[in-house]
Amino acid sequence: MRRSLLALLVIALLALPAGAQAAPRIVALTPFGANTLAKLGVEPVGVGQTLGGRERLSPKLKGVPVLPLSHPNGPNLEQLASLEPDVVLSSPTWAKGNESMGDLGIRVLIREPRRLRESYAQTLAIGRLVGRARAAEELVKKTKARVAMARREIDSHPRVMVILGVGRTPFVFLPNSWGGDLVAKAGGELLTGGVESGSGFERISDEVVVAEDPDVIIAVPHAEEDDIPSLAEYLRSNPAWAGTSAVENDRIYISVDNSLLQAGTDVARTIRKVRRVYLDNWPG
Amino acid sequence: MSAHGLTIREAGVSVRRPLVYGLLTAALLAAVVASLALGAVKVPVEAVIDVLLGREASGPDRQIIETLRLPRTVEALAVGAALGVAGAILQGALANPLASPDVIGVTGGAGFGAILIIILFPGSIALLPVGALAFGLFAAALVFAIAWSGANRGATGKVILAGIAVLSLFTAGTTGLLAAYPERAPSAIFFIAGGLTSSGWEEMSAIWPYFVVGFVAAALLIRPLDRLALGDDVAGSLGSRPHLIRLGAAIAAALLAAASAAIAGLVGFLGLVVPHVVRMAGGTSSHTFVVPASALGGAALLAGADTLARTLRAPVEMPVGPFMAVLGVPLFLWLLRKVV
Repeated sequence: MRRSLLALLVIALLALPAGAQAAPRIVALTPFGANTLAKLGVEPVGVGQTLGGRERLSPKLKGVPVLPLSHPNGPNLEQLASLEPDVVLSSPTWAKGNESMGDLGIRVLIREPRRLRESYAQTLAIGRLVGRARAAEELVKKTKARVAMARREIDSHPRVMVILGVGRTPFVFLPNSWGGDLVAKAGGELLTGGVESGSGFERISDEVVVAEDPDVIIAVPHAEEDDIPSLAEYLRSNPAWAGTSAVENDRIYISVDNSLLQAGTDVARTIRKVRRVYLDNWPG
Repeated sequence: MSAHGLTIREAGVSVRRPLVYGLLTAALLAAVVASLALGAVKVPVEAVIDVLLGREASGPDRQIIETLRLPRTVEALAVGAALGVAGAILQGALANPLASPDVIGVTGGAGFGAILIIILFPGSIALLPVGALAFGLFAAALVFAIAWSGANRGATGKVILAGIAVLSLFTAGTTGLLAAYPERAPSAIFFIAGGLTSSGWEEMSAIWPYFVVGFVAAALLIRPLDRLALGDDVAGSLGSRPHLIRLGAAIAAALLAAASAAIAGLVGFLGLVVPHVVRMAGGTSSHTFVVPASALGGAALLAGADTLARTLRAPVEMPVGPFMAVLGVPLFLWLLRKVV
């Protein structure tokens, strides 16, 4: 009798589909990683504090412990270890911390796409990791369809400079940055002075801004909603930019929601916003 | 024999000084020409001359020269001269070859003031120069208050120790802010690394009075500093008041260094090394020579280094500090080997 029960148990376990196996305990330090897990129906055991608070995290993640992050270490290792994660979805930003997490025996995967196509590949990889490959394929398909809708009827391509930070020493977003890629997908002609950099950002001369004469300047400072009017005024007052079409036509915009700064899963919505609010090339 | 030797030496020094002045002036002119003629965008030399002479020039060329390069060149000259003079009078006043604006807390205070605005009040970013200036002067005032109170008031060692303590305090504050808001740190990098910006005349028009007061005070302190170099007792017997001279020099240096930080961020190295270079090159420690020569040398070095920083990887702009080291250190080491 006991042998029969044991045999039944073994058969039952073997018969379980791969997807039903216990998913690894995951801490997602990036909003992209955390929201992708939420969309796949997996709850991480911890999430990283997002830039500017929690507004970029899915409501499904309410109640999940939030880990404060510091540069370049990422989370506090003791706090992280207390969550007993098997896997951490991290970012190159926390390079030093990633090494230390590895030393703790935690598997660290970089899941911080800097281009739209990378986000598809990383979604599929997360799906495979949590045993939801089919759901991840569906998610990618759905996202691609939404992005295609958001990119429909692009009939104007204004010259756009996207700048990071505050002050008189702005860094420009390059095509290999999340914001740079999305602005280009929204139909903007990204102005970079021909610069390339592995980091996706570079400080370029104001002389190039004058020479390339952007139609639109989008500033991505680390600031709050309340700071927008004064920051816009400050940027408009930059004597180096005074003669540009962007300033003359009052097309300097401030984006404080970090949707251009850090990858998320709300790609189509971000592209629509860029087209509607900044590039003015949304149909109708 | 010794009298004869002294005469030859004096004659050598009197020849060297004009030579050094000549070389520094030539370097300064070369740096100014390069700073105006070179940049991320190629502007023909004729167009540069036309703009400078007020003649017709195409829109972008005029804007690049008039609004970007000319104010930036003037800022480089003012900041370079100010830091050179600040270092020269501090080294003289404190009789310490390692003295620089760092020693009186200005650099630490200015850094904290600027980072405070960048990190906590990004909406008030226009106040960054004011924050740097105010906290730079506040830090210096703190050092003076500590050093000129209690036992051994105004003693050199006390000034230096108070300066190091205040510098550490503000540096800790700056580090704390950067650690607490890591995502905002990129905006602070260029201020910390030091470098000029192309922000037109706006900042200079607000800061120039501090430069003027600092330079005038430094000029008035030249002779008293020479007397102080003979030692406190001798200077006192000649009617000078050593503690007052030291305080005056520290205040003048604080004004010059804080105004410089407000415009160019934390530019190190220059204030420490340039006075030594001109002292070694001129073969004299007389402030009549060292102070103006440090102004010329500092201005030439910063204008030259800034031109390199914005043209070497153009259109990418890099911090100016490493380029000052590239230009200044070989000369400094050569002089160190030859002279000391």
